[in-house]
Parts: sequence; C-alpha cells; structure tokens
Amino acid sequence: MTAKRRATLVVWARRLTQAAFLFLFLYLFWALRPRPDGAAAPGSDFFFRINPLAAAITWLASHALVGAMLLALATVATALVFGRAFCGWVCPLGTIHNAITWLGKRRRARRPGADNWTAWQRSKYYLLIALAAMALFGAHWAGVFDPFSILYRTFTAAVYPGLQYSIEDAATSVYHSDPSLGPLHLTAVTEPAYDFFKANLFMHRERQVFIGAPLILLLFAAIVLLNLYRKRFWCRYACPLGALLGALSQRPVMRLVNAEGRCNDCGRCATQCPAAADPDKPGKWRPTECYACWNCVAACNRDAIDFKFRSPLPAPSTAKLDLGKRAMLSAGLAGAGGLVLFRLAPQAQAKIYNHELIRPPGARLEREFVQRCLKCGLCMKACPTNGLQPTGLQAGLEGLWTPVLVPQVGYCDYVCNLCGQVCPTEAIQPLPLDQKQKTKLGLAVFDRNRCLPWAYDRECMICEEHCPVSPKAIYCIPAEVTTRDGRTVTIKQPRVDPERCIGCGICEHVCVFRDRPAIRVTSANESRHTKNQAILSGGSSGWKDLPSDTAAPASDPYGASDPYGGN
Amino acid sequence: MARQTRRDFLKRTALTGGALALGPFSSTLAQDASPADMCIARFKEVDTKSSEAVKNMAVKLTEQAMANIGGMGRFVKKGDVVWVKPNIAWNRAPELAANTNPDVVATLVRLCFDAGAKTVKVGDNPCHKANETYAASGIAAAAEAAGAEVVYLDKTRFKEMPIQGKRLEKWLVYPEIAEADFVLNCPVLKHHQLSKMTACMKNYMGVVGEPRGQWHQDLDNCLSDITGFMKPSMCVLDAVRIMTGSGPTGGDLANVEFKNTIAAGTDIIALDALGAKLLGHKPADIGTVAAGQAAGLGKMDYHSLALKEVEVS
Repeated sequence: MTAKRRATLVVWARRLTQAAFLFLFLYLFWALRPRPDGAAAPGSDFFFRINPLAAAITWLASHALVGAMLLALATVATALVFGRAFCGWVCPLGTIHNAITWLGKRRRARRPGADNWTAWQRSKYYLLIALAAMALFGAHWAGVFDPFSILYRTFTAAVYPGLQYSIEDAATSVYHSDPSLGPLHLTAVTEPAYDFFKANLFMHRERQVFIGAPLILLLFAAIVLLNLYRKRFWCRYACPLGALLGALSQRPVMRLVNAEGRCNDCGRCATQCPAAADPDKPGKWRPTECYACWNCVAACNRDAIDFKFRSPLPAPSTAKLDLGKRAMLSAGLAGAGGLVLFRLAPQAQAKIYNHELIRPPGARLEREFVQRCLKCGLCMKACPTNGLQPTGLQAGLEGLWTPVLVPQVGYCDYVCNLCGQVCPTEAIQPLPLDQKQKTKLGLAVFDRNRCLPWAYDRECMICEEHCPVSPKAIYCIPAEVTTRDGRTVTIKQPRVDPERCIGCGICEHVCVFRDRPAIRVTSANESRHTKNQAILSGGSSGWKDLPSDTAAPASDPYGASDPYGGN
Repeated sequence: MARQTRRDFLKRTALTGGALALGPFSSTLAQDASPADMCIARFKEVDTKSSEAVKNMAVKLTEQAMANIGGMGRFVKKGDVVWVKPNIAWNRAPELAANTNPDVVATLVRLCFDAGAKTVKVGDNPCHKANETYAASGIAAAAEAAGAEVVYLDKTRFKEMPIQGKRLEKWLVYPEIAEADFVLNCPVLKHHQLSKMTACMKNYMGVVGEPRGQWHQDLDNCLSDITGFMKPSMCVLDAVRIMTGSGPTGGDLANVEFKNTIAAGTDIIALDALGAKLLGHKPADIGTVAAGQAAGLGKMDYHSLALKEVEVS
C-alpha cells in the first residue's frame, strides 16, 4: 500500500475519532443534569480531567493538585509520542473548527495557495507563558482561554438554552395561534414533535437562561468564524492548551519524514495543512504546530512524505520553537502585571465585600475560589434552578464568568449539592448534603418599605412558606395595625432569624415583588468568610453559643407553642 | 351555575340519555345501594418504622375509603380522561410528608383504570422545580408504574379562564387539567403558617399559573373561588403521615406525625374540616373552610353527611 492510500485511511480514521469525541462531549454535556438519585452523571468532568492546561494552571495558582486531574498525564504522554495529535484527533473544539472550515469552502474556489507558518503563531506560547506567570503568583485566568472551558461555557450559557428557546417558542406560538385548514391543525404535527424534544432532549427541565450569554456566544462565534480567514485560526494563534501541547511536541516519536528525492515542490501538502506546519519544506517541518492530521501525506501524489516512528532524541527539523528570551520574559511580566491589574481593586484586596457575590455552597474562600475556578460553567449547567449564573464584573475581572447565585433567577435547592459534585477543580467543594444544608451562602434581609405586611398591611408570607430550613428561618410576629379607615387588624409580620438563615435565596425568588424583591439575600454571614460576618452568632468563627438557658430559644416556634395555630 | 366545556355537555347529555334508557337496571350497576358521601378510613395497628407496612397501609386505606363511598366507578366513567392532582409541591422525600403519599397516588391511578378510565394523568404545578420535585416525592415513579401519564406542566401553556368568583375574575389555569373529565384532588394534610393548614382547597393552587403567590393576600376568598371553578365531585385526603409544623415545606421528621388515616368524600369542605380537626383546630377557625362553607361549596359539619368511619387492618 502506498503512503498516500494508507494516509487516506488514516484521515478517515481521524475523522471518525473526531466525531466520536465530539459526540462524547455532546453526550456528557447533555447527561450533565440533576438525576432522581441526586448524583451527577459519571464522567461529566471527563474533558477537564484529560486537560493538562487546566491541571497545570490550577496547580500553579492554588498550589493544590486535584487527584482526578492526573489523568492529564495521559494527554502529556500522547504529546511526547504523537505530537499535537490531541488537537487533531480529540479536541471537540478543534473538530468544530474543522467543520466550519469545511462549511466555508467555496465550491469553485480559486486554487488554494500554500498556507505557511508565520511568526504570529508564536503568540499562543506567549499567552501560555503569561497565564503560567500569572498563575505562579496566584491568579487563574486559563479558563478564559481554555478550549474546553470555552466549549462548555458557550454550550451551557448559549447553545443549549438557545436551542430550547427556539423549539419551545416556535411550538408555543403555533399552539396559541392554532392555525388550521379545516380539520387539519398544525398542532397535530408540532405538539408531538415538541413533546418529543421536551421528553428526550430537554428532559422536562425548565429552560435555563444566563446573564451575559450574548457576549459569551459572540466571542465563540468570532473564534469559530475566524476559520474562514485562516484554517483553525484559534488553534494556530491563540489556544494555550495547544501551546502547552506544542511545547511538549518538540521531539515527538512520530514525525514527518521526507523520502529522498521524491518531492517535486508542488506544494499540495501545504494547501491541505490546517496548522501551517510547513510540511512542504523538507527538514523544516514544524512539529510544535502539526496536529498529526495526515492531510499532507494523503495529499501527496508522489509518496514523498510520511509519518514514521523515530528515536525522539535527534531534533526532527531545523525549524525549532524559537520564542526568544526577551519576548518570553515580556510575556511573563505581562502575566504578572495582569495579576496586579486584577488586584488593584478594593474588593480584590478584601477591603470591601460585594453584597451580590453569593457563591455556591461549598465554594472556598474567595481568593482560593478564583484560584481554582475554570469558568467552565459545569456547575451552572447542573444547577436545577438556573440560579447559578456567570459573573460579569461582580467578582472583578479576575473572577469573570465564575458562578454566582442570582436568587431572582433561581435559588439554591435545599436538597441539591450538584455544583460541588461536578466542579472539576473543587473550587466548589463536594459537600455531603447534610453539611451543605448548614452552609450559609448569605443572609436574607427584609425591605420593610416594600414588604406587604410591613408596608401595606396585607398578609403575604410567601417567603415564610418557601423557607426550606426546619424550623424556618423566617418567622412571623402578629402585630396590630390601624388601617386607613381606622380599623384595627392583625397582620403577621415576617422577620429573619440570622442563626437559621442559610441564604439559599428562595424567599427572594418567590417574593411578589418581581422587580426589586422585598426580601433580598446578600453575601453577609456567608460561612466561607470569617470577615464578611455582620451578626454575632453561634455559627461565626470565634464565638460560642451561650448556654441554652440564656440563649434565645431556638426551638420550633410553630410547634406546641404556635402562637396562632392550635387550640 | 357550573361552567362546562362542550365535551362535558355532550358527555352528560349522552350519559343522562343512557341512564334514562337503562331505567330500572341502572341501580344494579352501583357497587353499593346507598354509598356514603364521605368515608374516614383508619388503620388499626401498624409498625410505622417499616416502609413495607406503611405502604400496605396507604394502599389498603385508599381502597377502603374509595369502596365505602361507592367505588371509583361512581366518579369515573368508561373512556374518561382523569387528572389525578396530588400535592407535589416540594422537593422532599415521601417520609417528610411534604407531598402526597406516592402509594396513595398509585392506588388511585389503579382504581381509575379499573373503573374504565382511558387515560390517567398525574401532575402538579410545584413550588420547587418540577423535574426534581416529581422525582424526590416518589410520585413520578409510582404513578408511572401504575400506568399513569406523568405530566410536567408547561409554563407556556396556561390559559386565562373565567373564574368569576368573589375575588378572582379570571386567572391562568392549566387547560389540560380544566378539560379533564374528572380531576381527582388528593392532597396530603399539612400545617401552613398563613392558612394554618393546607389540604384539599389549597391543593388547587397547583392548577393555576403565576403570580399565584398574590393569592396569599386573600387566601380565603381566592381558594373558595378556585374551588368553585373546579367543582370537585370527589376528593381524597391523605393523612397517613401529616405535617404538624414548619409547613408547608417541613423538612424535619420532627414535624411529621402518623395519623394512619385516609378520607374520601364528595364534600371538599367536609374533608378540609376533618383535616383541621386532625391538625388540632376547630374547622370554623380555618378561614378557607369558613369561607368555603359561606360560598356554598360544602358543609364543615361532616357528621351531618352520610359518613362512614371504618377501621382497616
């Protein structure tokens, strides 16, 4: 078999592998949802476990190695043997890039020119160096650029909710307008289709919607559409994971070898190379750029090139990864400078606390949290109430796209701890349910100028009704008030017990005021911060509960002593 | 007068005609010559620590309560579409009594099919997220195993319907429920801070859409209005386990008490009055019950009805 024919088979094997990993990604993404047993689907963080960039930067930033991420060493091993085959064969974002390139091919294209290496391809290495330097001093921003974070973040925030919105909105408008031709109703077709999608694709889950999703989607669209300018633009110029794997593939075992005297410099191979790895230049092939896609071998009509296994010791080519000491130093300084930039804010130095920054249960102390968070959005996809949202600037630029609980959108479900289960880096610690139920995310505060029983002399108590802790953190004291027409009525006025409130936010979520709820949760009293504690309570550090005879009664106020029930 | 859909009208006309045609034979079709209007079934002795025993109790109580009010066939006709409406409000396990007992629901589904129902749907508009709540309550699995279609209400499908009550002129109601031939309201009995208790009337908050929370500002009249709109012909009250405090969410076994009781009856006010008593209240002290009686929806003095109290073992 000629090298060309063998290579054609290998190219098809690669395409199948790529499709398989893309489907694996889509399946794991789809399967990442609450299940009846309350456990996350196994393997939902698979792509982060095999991601050496996430492992390395998290380790540098937090000085902690997450055991599960050691699987990334397997990816490192593939780079040492096969070069950047991970980019060409495995990475689902790379596969999407390939697909877009293919879609963008013009039918009657002008003869494609050779697409050769340019010095701009070094930029991804500088980005990697900057991220690593930043991480060394304790800031984790790899998630902004990590391909798997980008993929999960975009699919979570925009692609899946967008798909669900399209299908639901289309079916619903047909349902309500009910167009028909005699006895034939369009709904006879749309409703079964809609039910099918609800039951099998969206699993009866309410549609999620995310703050800032348009920006996340636009960035993704830009990354993907740049393929129309240069094939796999992102992977060539920007991807820090690609840079890490490239740095590891300087002397791969599998390398492109030229057959003596066969090449006639036709340049066909270079037109098929998505990586601009210069396969057309004998002795100057760039292993750090090559995705081992085999397109070049399959393109060559003279069997002049082929991938062969050789000893890794001699350099495979004279085209070395030459980044330049000054440039590398500059990139490192830029990374460290970026960290300082992040920290030049009172909040970053814990001088103030953002009342809106309600972190998921089990989230570490803010600094440690952002040192681990990959901004991947797995927790947001898993959150059953849609309460976990990507931050804008609430956590500073450093904490961009990290999870924050926005109770008006969704509350923290009392019997759920999925976010901690799925977090690949344990930025959100996996708390057992009983411990999670005692973890305070913040504290609810009444706005007595808006609350119906306080401000408008009306019964309400929806917040009390929904409060999940037992005994409830919201309790009511009956008060006699005089109405406008002089009548005296008894109204149950609600209050919050700071000892019991865990800041889950369901009270804020269900408040009749939808614009600015009359009860709101702020981050005060959150368990993770000893300094963001306003209220002296048994739960805060350094304080002890008073003996029970002098302490405020913590017993169930609605039990035997129920002041308005029972008789 | 009752609002009826065209389907109701046609069906009733046909049934009335059929019944007239059958004439003297029709009475022999009934299971019992004179079924009770309400039955309170209590279990004699049960080991509440054994989940098997509790399940057995729930099934038997449901069967007995139904049998003594004339069987499900009195309310469900052959080919009917039945909507079983339990309380599936909270993401809580069955042991916490925050939702209707799943075995009660499954038994009712089975009885509906036995009575000839074509389709039995089970669903509620939960306070927590439906997907998690249906699963945690155990009701989705139990109802599906009994052959019911578990329906997740679609927030986009509520339709404004004329309630024409004292307080509610119109409201968003779930059409699939309103259009069912028979809606079987089967709540669990619980403590509720505002209305003191939640039972049958309050369970109808699960057939309407947002912003239903506003109803808390006049719960008595709103619940009377929706009950008048739904016109229940029969309800089942699950008091196998009841929630005595921190209602309606509970979350602590200390708030759960075994009453080993299930009541079924044609008078929703009478059933809620019984619920009030089981929770230690005077029925007249419960605003919704008093308002319901004043609106002519039923009688809180259930002893004045044809009442059967049975001991089950």
